[in-house]
Amino acid sequence: MKDLYLVYKNLTRKKMRLFLTTFAIFIAFLIFGAIMTLRGALNSGVEMSADNRLVVVHKTNFTNPLPYSYVNKTQAIEGVKQVTHANWFGGYYQEPANQVVTFAVEPESYLAVYPELVIEPEQRKAWLNNQASILVGERIALANGWKVGDRIPLSSNIFSHKEGGQTWDFVIEGIFRGAEQKTDTSYLLFHYKYFKETQSWGGDSIGWLILTTEDAAMNESVAKAIDNNFANSNAETDTSTEQAFNKAFIEQIGNIGLIIFGVVFMAFFTILIVVGNTMVLAIRERTAEIAVLKTLGFASIRIFKMVLIESCLLAFLGGLLGLGGAYLLIQGASENLARFLPNLVLDQNILLQALGYMLLLGLITGIAPAISALKLNIITAFNRG
Amino acid sequence: MSNLMSQSTAVIVMNIRSLPRRLWMSLAMVFASAVVVAILLAFLAMAKGFEATMQSAGSDDVAFFMRTGSAAELNSSASREQVNLIENAPGILKDEQGPLVSPELYVIVDGVKKSTQQEANIPLRGLSQRGVDMRNGFTLTAGRMFTPGTDELIVGAGILREFDGFDLGQEIRFGKYTWKVVGVFSTGGNVFESELWADAKVIQNLYNRGSSYQTVRARIGSSDDLTAINEYLESEPRLTHEVQTESAYFATQGKSLEYMAIFGWVISSIMALGALAGALNTMYTSVSDRSMEIATLRAIGFSSLSAFIGTMVEAMTLAVIGSLVGALAAFIFFDGMNASTLGGSFTQVVFSFQLTSELFIQGITLALIIGFVSGFFPAWRAARVPVIVAFQSAR
Repeated sequence: MKDLYLVYKNLTRKKMRLFLTTFAIFIAFLIFGAIMTLRGALNSGVEMSADNRLVVVHKTNFTNPLPYSYVNKTQAIEGVKQVTHANWFGGYYQEPANQVVTFAVEPESYLAVYPELVIEPEQRKAWLNNQASILVGERIALANGWKVGDRIPLSSNIFSHKEGGQTWDFVIEGIFRGAEQKTDTSYLLFHYKYFKETQSWGGDSIGWLILTTEDAAMNESVAKAIDNNFANSNAETDTSTEQAFNKAFIEQIGNIGLIIFGVVFMAFFTILIVVGNTMVLAIRERTAEIAVLKTLGFASIRIFKMVLIESCLLAFLGGLLGLGGAYLLIQGASENLARFLPNLVLDQNILLQALGYMLLLGLITGIAPAISALKLNIITAFNRG
Repeated sequence: MSNLMSQSTAVIVMNIRSLPRRLWMSLAMVFASAVVVAILLAFLAMAKGFEATMQSAGSDDVAFFMRTGSAAELNSSASREQVNLIENAPGILKDEQGPLVSPELYVIVDGVKKSTQQEANIPLRGLSQRGVDMRNGFTLTAGRMFTPGTDELIVGAGILREFDGFDLGQEIRFGKYTWKVVGVFSTGGNVFESELWADAKVIQNLYNRGSSYQTVRARIGSSDDLTAINEYLESEPRLTHEVQTESAYFATQGKSLEYMAIFGWVISSIMALGALAGALNTMYTSVSDRSMEIATLRAIGFSSLSAFIGTMVEAMTLAVIGSLVGALAAFIFFDGMNASTLGGSFTQVVFSFQLTSELFIQGITLALIIGFVSGFFPAWRAARVPVIVAFQSAR
């Protein structure tokens, strides 16, 4: 107990330095927490993908359409449990800049393939029964202030409505939540049949197929069977697991993602180096005092521990405050970024990593002065001081 | 005045010469401001490079027609009939063969990125010789032009650099069809170099596009002609298109990485606060380290202002050295760095980071702010502490 009091006194002897050092550590972990969360959000599509879900797209590129007949043909392939399909609508709300991810889907099978989308049973029924209605993800509803029963105009930057213009009027019949915190709910779903009947181009083509296999172990053989089935047709296919597809999609953002995270990590470590340097010097200054403590009969190992505890305390003080700051920042930003990013979650992984870095910072900055304190010869120390 | 000058000079020299005593603290401050500057410059250079790649693609004397509300070339559409109507618009220049108009279409195909070995979207643009002539600075750097009516294509220099399998003479399969690379072209580093070009009619055939196109480019005398064209578009009910200069279109597209610059400022400002905390520590240490000297100088008649200036100059010097190191590092590592990302039309845009002198000045300004603030408060203390207290605390 007395030792802790000494540690406390040492920490607070120069209030200004304590404040500045804590603040720098605070900033470092604020950046760390925020950036790791952002990265987690970008990768959540990969992380949250189901292991028995496959995506079938046009071989030339996933933006090219597939014939509608592929739905039934694929369903007939062995090992396929449930097939559904989706079309990219190019949706936006009021302003072209206010893009809203919108898919035209076959409602029942889509919900079967994505069991992580949770809806109240009566809302589900209402959406299935009303062709001109839309199902809204919780996050996007929150971002735009939409409620069940609202009528919203939704425009497309690709398609035109049969009756002129590019705006569809939808009534919101339901709002879906995610089974897990990280499940993406920042998009809209509406009936493919209604889409087909109301858009001016006509034609019976779909954007891509999503299917579940009987067993994840069959993924590879099912994917091969599908691609072989459509080989040499007018629309050859490319089937991959949902995870691989999402990963490839994220990587389209390209090396700028890598550069950003690289640069920010450099920033994090720089601050730690600068701060660590200050902390080491702060303890070095006290050589004479440590000699006094030793003269008074403090065991070397006890002083060693005290020095380490002091540096670790400082690291955790600033670090935890920084993580707390990052948490608050994310809470604030999450809603504003609902249109661009899936849910921002500062999860356990990030927390553990941050705690690890704090401990490392405390140990590395404390170890050198602690060892020299351990070995300190009282006579030489007094001579020097 | 000259007295103050000589006093300050003396103090500055003393401060600088005592730097080795505080070597690690001073280096920490230099290092911190260097990294802050380097990070800011990295983000700014990224946004700048992307913007330049887009903006240099557009010309003022090309009118660009897109379907209203489509926002990007990919989403636009124009039927053969609509293209004919656009050809009749007023203000479009003509030559012996008719109006200078280029209807174009756009198919997205997969290419394998060299860096990740993953597939990424590349635009395969269908156009005619007329369209090629509308691109300023177009040159074939190798091979020859594609022959109309065949499955030959030419590949942009950016694609060649970032993607596998597009070397001259190679055959590439996109889905069911095989294309042959017969030429490599450059357009002076702009976004068109991130594209593949082939004959429009062949693409219509192979990709079930019938006779329809997506966008139309037309040569005009000057951007003043747009008013007449706009009136024409509004009076013609069969046209659902809007017109702007090509340069205006690409200027908008170039803004899509602007958030990077903003993000860069936010990150580096937060970092600067952290660096500031470190720098203040350094400078306070410097003042307490020199408190004996400061007190002595003050006792023998040096003004407190000279103590203030001495400390300020020390802080600013360290920050400026740091910013120069940071700027140099940013220049070495980031200037000209090749990157590619998804652009507005959902395809890869290959671009290079660009560090301009204007960006350097922004970086150095940030470092000067850090230097000023981190010098000011410790300098204030150096100037204000009564001589007697300074002697006591030094002992």
